[in-house]
Amino acid sequence: MIDRAEGWRRRAPLLPALVFTIIVTQIPFLLTLFYSVQSWNLVRPGSQSFVWFANYVDVFTDSQFRQVAINTIVMTLGSVLIAVVLGLLLALLLNRQFVGRGVVRTLLITPFLITPVAAALLWRTVLLDPTLGLVNFVLSPFGASGTEWISQFPLASVMAALVWQWTPFMMLLLLAGLQSQPSDQLEAARVDGASAWSVFRELTLPHLRRFIELGVVLGTIYLVNTFDTVYMMTQGGPGVASANLPFYIYQRAFLGFDIGQSAAMGVVVVIITLIAASFALRLLFRSFSVEEGI
Amino acid sequence: MAEVVFDQASRIYTPGAKPAVDKLSLTVADGDLVVLVGPSGSGKSTALRMLAGLEPIDAGSVRINGRDVVDVQPKDRDIAMVFQNYALYPSKTVAENMAFPLKMRGVEKEERAKRVREAADMLGLTEYLDRKPKALSGGQRQRVAMGRAIVREPQVFLMDEPLSNLDAKMRVQTRAQIAEMQNRLAVSTVYVTHDQVEAMTMGDKVAVLADGKLQQYATPPELYDRPANAFVAGFIGSPAMNLLELPRSSSGVTLGGIEIPLTREVTNAVGSRDKLTIGIRPEDWVLESTDADAGSVVKAVVDVVEELGSESYLYAHLAEDTATKIVVRGPGRVKVRFGDPIAVRPTAEALHVFDVESGERLD
Repeated sequence: MIDRAEGWRRRAPLLPALVFTIIVTQIPFLLTLFYSVQSWNLVRPGSQSFVWFANYVDVFTDSQFRQVAINTIVMTLGSVLIAVVLGLLLALLLNRQFVGRGVVRTLLITPFLITPVAAALLWRTVLLDPTLGLVNFVLSPFGASGTEWISQFPLASVMAALVWQWTPFMMLLLLAGLQSQPSDQLEAARVDGASAWSVFRELTLPHLRRFIELGVVLGTIYLVNTFDTVYMMTQGGPGVASANLPFYIYQRAFLGFDIGQSAAMGVVVVIITLIAASFALRLLFRSFSVEEGI
Repeated sequence: MAEVVFDQASRIYTPGAKPAVDKLSLTVADGDLVVLVGPSGSGKSTALRMLAGLEPIDAGSVRINGRDVVDVQPKDRDIAMVFQNYALYPSKTVAENMAFPLKMRGVEKEERAKRVREAADMLGLTEYLDRKPKALSGGQRQRVAMGRAIVREPQVFLMDEPLSNLDAKMRVQTRAQIAEMQNRLAVSTVYVTHDQVEAMTMGDKVAVLADGKLQQYATPPELYDRPANAFVAGFIGSPAMNLLELPRSSSGVTLGGIEIPLTREVTNAVGSRDKLTIGIRPEDWVLESTDADAGSVVKAVVDVVEELGSESYLYAHLAEDTATKIVVRGPGRVKVRFGDPIAVRPTAEALHVFDVESGERLD
């Protein structure tokens, strides 16, 4: 038996970390809760007053907030799913033997290593610029020059940059999955008469399922917080056409100076994220514990 | 039903290097179970994988029922294979695993279910059909792998050390089951193992391989009674045959101070060689009384006694040449202990005589 004093002595070295974590996460959250029931706009000093849940009512009646919420879902899930599909194709390619595989692999990983801000800048200027961009240059023989990608397709442009950055991550994850597939199962399938497509559908895809789930969950956790790409490429515009929740909250807080309103939005987003994340993580833990075992 | 022929078949991993399988030629008669046996690196698994189509055939040919399969895909060879680690599909149930080869060949669903049921009955797997492989014991997994092979009714079964992951008791049981099932189905089978007991008990014929080369291809009794060379002599039989390099004497060879006579035929075959490798199986020694006349028995000192109940094995070194070790089979409940002297005499008719250099059998 360990008595109370001994128990505290053993936990003592952990306490500073716990206290630190509480200070930097829970105190801001409590302050946010407090702000969210205040009417407080920094542009009008002395306007701070207690307004009950008026800010929350505003959040749910704000059509821009709904638009931004939908943008967030489309941007996050769309980018993740496209990145998974492309990552899977590239992983299948890299799982084969060919000359120059090492070089190709390194090049394919590169986008993941670039600072998101730099990547976004690269996409806005070098690739998608209407007059100087490489995309229009490449498409010009097909008569598609002069397209204003970023203003005509703002959400798709941001997603393209996100997909470009996240495909290598999915590729690495799925490549690890492919390489963990026992080769004798593939040989058995060949002897059993399976075509390459059947082997993929019947064996490889089920084997990869939990790697795909892991990729989707991790990708979603990261991408739902996307800020830098939106900020650098479109500033959420035109209007809120390419804004997602983190950017919109930032806009309301630091450009609109409406502290009460943005705090209420933050609280709503945290609650929704917590619900979504707990489902996603449950899925993840289930697939990594119950299924075939690693 | 099919005859399988390896005709000078070779597998060379890197050009210029020693072939993994070197000009292997052997014929598996229709319905026979042939065992490929050898130590690790002997090329036995490679030979099997060449037959399966999982390794290319770099030279020579392999024929199944007269058809050259060198350029034929594994799925078109009409074979079924049981892998060492079973290679079951982890995401599929037992029933789905067994039905997989049928599904891939476009067999109707009802027909698939019927054949899986029959095979499951035969293998005692009926109650496990809905389980995933990870919920099965090693022996059950092994039987699922067997089931997946037999539902196909292929021309040839290939088995790559199918028992090596089972415990000793299970191995003996399953060994008998496989042999019995193979007899019943009468499908030509090529079976790879490193275990000479499996080879001797299961094979209609046994091919002994070493260093990629076929050493001998014969029935188990032939292999035991007339090994073609010193390698086969030492590999087949447990404990291994005593292989002693002995100097010639006028009418035989000398061992531990006594002369072991050779028959006239052997003497003729031996010619002018002044040394011979003599093979004596542990059971071909006669234990004599220790006070027998010194000129007629070999004196030795016991190092280890292995008591097996019905018999015992005495590991000993010669009294006058401690570097020479011998193994002698004795009766059960033998009285000798570590350090005791014994006197033995080889049975002259049971000698195996090999060339010292090449290891080839001389008589």
